[in-house]
Amino acid sequence: MKKRLIIALSILFLLFTTGVGITIFYIYKTTKDLETVINLHRVEIIRQNLVINTQTVQTHLYTIGTAFGSEVDVIVEHVSDLDKSVQSCRGCHHNKELTERLDRLSDMVEQYKDALSALITTTANQERIERLRLVAITLGNTLLSMVQEMAFTADQRLYIKTINALRDINNSKIILFITLSIAFLIALLVAVVFTRQITKSISMLINATKELKSGKLGVTANYPYKDEFRDLSEAFNDMSLTLKKNHDELLGFARRLSHLYRVTIPLYYLSEEGMPYKDLTEIVKELFDAKDSKILLKDNGRFIDIMDREISIPQKEMEALYLYYKKEPAIFRKESPPPIGDEYIQTISGSALFIWIKEQEKLSGLLMVYNKISGDFDDTDLNIAAILSNIISVSFINLKLMENLKAQMKELKETQEQLIQAAKLAALGEMASNIAHELNNPLTSIIGFSELSQEETDIETIKKDLKIIEQESIRAKEIVNQLLEFARKRSINIGNVNLNILLKEVLQLASLQLKHGNIDVREEFGDIPIIKADHNQLKQVFLNMINNAIFAMPEGGILTLRTGMIEDKVFVDVEDTGHGIPPDILPRIFEPFFTTKKEKGTGLGLSISYRIIESHGGKIEVKSEINRGTRFTVILPVNLSS
Amino acid sequence: MKMVSIFVLISILILFPAICFSQEKSKNEILIGLIPEENIFRQMDRYRPLGDYLSNKLNIKTRFTILSRYGDIIDRFLIRNLDGAFFGAFTSVLAIEKLKVEPVVRLQNIDGTTTAEGYIIVRKDSGIKDIKDMKGKTIAFVDRATATGFLFAIAYFKEHGIANPFSYFKEYYFTGSHDSALLSVLDGRADIGVVKSTIVRERIRREPLIENEISIIARSMPLPDVTLCLSKKLDSALRDKIKRILITMDRDPEGIKVLERLGASRFINASKEDFIPVYNLLKKADINLKTYRYKQ
Repeated sequence: MKKRLIIALSILFLLFTTGVGITIFYIYKTTKDLETVINLHRVEIIRQNLVINTQTVQTHLYTIGTAFGSEVDVIVEHVSDLDKSVQSCRGCHHNKELTERLDRLSDMVEQYKDALSALITTTANQERIERLRLVAITLGNTLLSMVQEMAFTADQRLYIKTINALRDINNSKIILFITLSIAFLIALLVAVVFTRQITKSISMLINATKELKSGKLGVTANYPYKDEFRDLSEAFNDMSLTLKKNHDELLGFARRLSHLYRVTIPLYYLSEEGMPYKDLTEIVKELFDAKDSKILLKDNGRFIDIMDREISIPQKEMEALYLYYKKEPAIFRKESPPPIGDEYIQTISGSALFIWIKEQEKLSGLLMVYNKISGDFDDTDLNIAAILSNIISVSFINLKLMENLKAQMKELKETQEQLIQAAKLAALGEMASNIAHELNNPLTSIIGFSELSQEETDIETIKKDLKIIEQESIRAKEIVNQLLEFARKRSINIGNVNLNILLKEVLQLASLQLKHGNIDVREEFGDIPIIKADHNQLKQVFLNMINNAIFAMPEGGILTLRTGMIEDKVFVDVEDTGHGIPPDILPRIFEPFFTTKKEKGTGLGLSISYRIIESHGGKIEVKSEINRGTRFTVILPVNLSS
Repeated sequence: MKMVSIFVLISILILFPAICFSQEKSKNEILIGLIPEENIFRQMDRYRPLGDYLSNKLNIKTRFTILSRYGDIIDRFLIRNLDGAFFGAFTSVLAIEKLKVEPVVRLQNIDGTTTAEGYIIVRKDSGIKDIKDMKGKTIAFVDRATATGFLFAIAYFKEHGIANPFSYFKEYYFTGSHDSALLSVLDGRADIGVVKSTIVRERIRREPLIENEISIIARSMPLPDVTLCLSKKLDSALRDKIKRILITMDRDPEGIKVLERLGASRFINASKEDFIPVYNLLKKADINLKTYRYKQ
């Protein structure tokens, strides 16, 4: 194709060059002819000037010396022009004949000038003057004749030259037109032939490319001609076959990766049942396209087949084989067996792939894959075997670690249960101690006053003592009641509760104490929804909190009740400006019987409140600063969950 | 009255540029006359480069005009209001006496001479050997107002006892130029010619064969050759400038070319004293300038 293109273009170039050469030749020739014509026209102008000047001077000749005669300067000027005309003619290159004629003309002009000068300057009798005038006129006429004769010749030459020049111009136009037409036709023919050939070739390649694109890898294009397109089609065929080969290889890799992945799945989901050996051997068979596979694990000095415990290899021989293969996966072939190995190994027929299961470089098992169905094991199999060896080894380690973890977890759970039991006993002891302490005070009073009453005779005093005994008994009973209340699992009476209204009711209940305590109440109620809750229990909670706040502000202060929403929950702040709770006490305030009010409290209020809010699915948060105040935040869900 | 004042004012306004223009024009052109001592066309060709040279140097257009006949030059000088002219020896004296011009520079010939002689020439084949042989022949003078082409010959003839030279010859006429007089002899139109030596030598230089054709019967003493006389009406500064340019032009490469074209080596100073030999010739020829009819 390239050669044909070069040849075609060379022919075109030659044709164009020839055409251009011919055209240039004709243009050059025509230009020369035109130059000659122009020069001849110039000569014609010179000749006309010569004639005009000569005729003018001749005219002056008749008036020289008369009153009508021109100034000598005018005559001199005309003669000068005449002389210039002749000299300009002589300046050009002419043929010998013309040069001689021009020389004669020049001589004639010189003679004419002499005659004129003589006529102009001579002072003589009339006869002599007339004679001089006649001489000058005769010379002038001769000069005119010569000029006109030359002009006639020049005119003829001018005519011939002009005709020739026009003919050459016409010829060059025709030749140029023919040359360009032929060149155009040949160019058109070459373009059509080459375009068809190129289009056909490209079309064939495009079709092959489309087939390739549609997934038909390995498709080939058969280009019949021997040119660059043949090379291109061969390169395309190579590309297509290479693509197919690479594609097949990629598919093989993908398949193996898929099997490898499948191998890893059972290994990742190790259960208490241990290693899924059966699944593993089956998948490994598929992975390597092998006929069979076995797993041998170390057990009491031998490597035993997991599936068929009758098959085993002594540990010593197995480790020797492991070292022989340099701890790397290896291909066993019957025709070239290793120099060491158990009888069983030596009896393997065909080929086998040895995949070592290691535990920190120590051999713990062997995965054997027998006899590849599609050919023989190769390096790719070895690479996959290396990956598989690592995965299985790690899985075995993981299995062992998991078993260890299970044992440790069990031990930990037992220890934890023991600790919980001990803590429960300690808490119960402390609570019992607190109950005993709480009950001890009224009981001590009762015993004391009972003893006093027995010794007292005055009935009034006895009455007073009995009154005290009664009061202390009631107090003891209240303690017991509250304890029962604390211990009792009360059922919750759920209903719609508007917390803002509920808080107003609680404030009403505490209004007298608030007033006496010189406490300013601020209600900052937000727009909150009605919640599902036990109205009375919540009332008890907030009354307890308000009482605690009043107690915390013996000198008076500000009590702020604030409601609002936190995300989808409702909150209630009960905030005082009292003395605050010391940080070391704060974690204990919800413990039963823990109180800072000494005899004025039982230490059960906040414990009960905490339990009530917890039973509503809510929580209580406390924030306190010494001498700044305390804020209890009760957070409750809008809808009580079951 | 008012109308008259306006008319006068308008007239002044109209005339003022015209007056200025005319004055400027006279300053912008120098016109110098040439006596026709040779073929007037050739002479004009020789002098034209000098006109260009002066125009360039003076920045004033300078041109030449042929004074067709020697005798006419005095009248034509006045009529054409010339600024000066290249005169011959006799015409210089005439101009000095009648036109109040001042001799400025003279031409020094290529051979170093600054003077010219008058020749009485004949063709060798004419058989004329001396003055006696001339009787009854045709003689061609140059002009009545030329020293080398007429005056010296009259003085010569009178010195040789011919009281009335015009009746001594069969015919006499004036060629108007020296080379015409020479050509008249060479062509046989005249038997005897009176011409300037420089013209003869120049002609021989161009056509050496001529030397064999003619013989010189008599020659004058050296007389001042072509001299530029400038009118005293011309601004003295301009006169000095023209003189300076001409005197120094042989040191200017461009000026040297012009001098070569002119057939001269340089210009030298000229003075009235240079013309004493002409005055002597006038005496010998018994010509009184005041009464002399130089016109034909």
